[in-house]
Amino acid sequence: MSSTEPSQNKTWELSLYELHRTPQEVITDATEIAVSPRSLHSELMCPICLDMLKKTMTTKECLHRFCSDCIITALRSGNKECPTCRKKLVSKRSLRPDPNFDLLISKIYPSRDEYEAHQERVLAKLNMSHSQASLVNSITEGIKLQSQNRPQRSRKNQEESSNPSNSNGTSEPAQNGNSSSVPKDGTSTGNPTPPGQSTSNPASVRSTPSPVPSNVSSVSKNTSTTKRAKSVLTSERSEESESSDGRTEGENSMDTEGEGEPLNPNEIELVFKPHPTEMTGDNQLMRALRDSSVRYLKTTANASVDHLSKYLAMRLTLDLDAELPEAYRLLNFCIYVAPSPGQFVPLAGSQTLRQINDKFWKVNKPLEMYYSWKKT
Amino acid sequence: MAQNINPHYASSSNPAKQNEDTIKLNDNHAVSKRLQKELMELMRCSDKGISAFPESENLFKWIGTIHGPEDTVYEGHKYKLSLEFPNSYPYAPPIVKFVTPCFHPNVDTCGLICLDILKDKWTALYDIRTVLISIQSLLGEPNTLSPLNQQASYLWSNQPAYKKYLDEFYNKNKDS
Repeated sequence: MSSTEPSQNKTWELSLYELHRTPQEVITDATEIAVSPRSLHSELMCPICLDMLKKTMTTKECLHRFCSDCIITALRSGNKECPTCRKKLVSKRSLRPDPNFDLLISKIYPSRDEYEAHQERVLAKLNMSHSQASLVNSITEGIKLQSQNRPQRSRKNQEESSNPSNSNGTSEPAQNGNSSSVPKDGTSTGNPTPPGQSTSNPASVRSTPSPVPSNVSSVSKNTSTTKRAKSVLTSERSEESESSDGRTEGENSMDTEGEGEPLNPNEIELVFKPHPTEMTGDNQLMRALRDSSVRYLKTTANASVDHLSKYLAMRLTLDLDAELPEAYRLLNFCIYVAPSPGQFVPLAGSQTLRQINDKFWKVNKPLEMYYSWKKT
Repeated sequence: MAQNINPHYASSSNPAKQNEDTIKLNDNHAVSKRLQKELMELMRCSDKGISAFPESENLFKWIGTIHGPEDTVYEGHKYKLSLEFPNSYPYAPPIVKFVTPCFHPNVDTCGLICLDILKDKWTALYDIRTVLISIQSLLGEPNTLSPLNQQASYLWSNQPAYKKYLDEFYNKNKDS
């Protein structure tokens, strides 16, 4: 503002900042600047359809850009103002086509068709993973994978439990059962949120249902590390195969995480047991469950208690397909944590596993939780 | 007015009509595409205190959750909302209602919300995220001049009494 005043006390000595700063490079035609696709995307995107600008129109006064179709529809259907800044736009004549911008876009993305095809694929994938049907699908697939591993498991059962129904062990792989007391239960948390997770690792995972061979260990190690490297959050799919890893690890030794691989801080291992007083032997559900009442799982720490009870309901209903009468199909669970023996704290549905772990558990071993079954 | 009509614009009004019809046909696809993009964006960077997800496989109906803003009487409360998107979205606003009963000067007993950006101040640039953020801030800053809930509006000036009533109301209704 007052340009004379500062010049009066101006000295030619450089300030500390000026002494230390590195000079900006001059930008010439040959200069190359790296721009992240995401920041570029926000520049080339139409804020109405959130797609890449198509036949760009620019508002004459405020210079905001939109697709021709989008802004015309907007002006026709709503207020006569710029959707971005509310500046008055009397009519189409307050806009001008911006062919230079279209050229710029076609320089950056020479093949628009290709770009759009890619978009469609990503969205289709997202669509798939958020539908309920695919959730059930992935659960049944998980069960299939588990039953492939069943022979090994039954052997384990034989050692561990004296339950007569299991004592003929290996010959029983086909039992509809899921009568596993030890192995980790694979699968998602019955949780309808995975789309975002598959967004975070877009092009992978879902489409690769690698059947888990029954003697994995080294193979599974690899897959699990690559998957973890790919993203912190895991999609249903990868959770399945990860927890199948968990299972093989579990068969080698119950309490170590494979060969010393650290547990991902965003995952929580937990043990699900029936509530000792509310789920007694004469409870119908307990009779039906028999020894599959204890469940081991590993899932994202962001899963909430609601997710868990949905998961339990879905899992147990699938497991008990033939055994439960129709009336008991809609299972509703109350979930507890036991910070000290005998003390059961019921948990609110919105709490996440991380919160529960931090609040009640703290010790460095799998979180133990209890469930009881509410008749509704 | 008449002299303001550009002859070119006037003559092209017929093709524009046709154009509109073809837009109508593609509408659903365009709308679900935009909603899917919003979903991706919401999942990618979740804002503090708000979340939203399609209710079922139908992308046109979502359930959102907002946490009461900090340092307001609504702190610690959690409200579920339903969002229904018309075929003309994003040119027309979604219909947003509180599912969890909400005691608030600008929310009526059916959960309807009086908020300008959901009506005449809507622009196509708003999305699920900004709508939820706006409702969240409306909680702490009601417009007591045009109340839908007279009692809440009247009580608002007495914050301790408001808080007491609100907490009772919330605890009684949060599971319904």
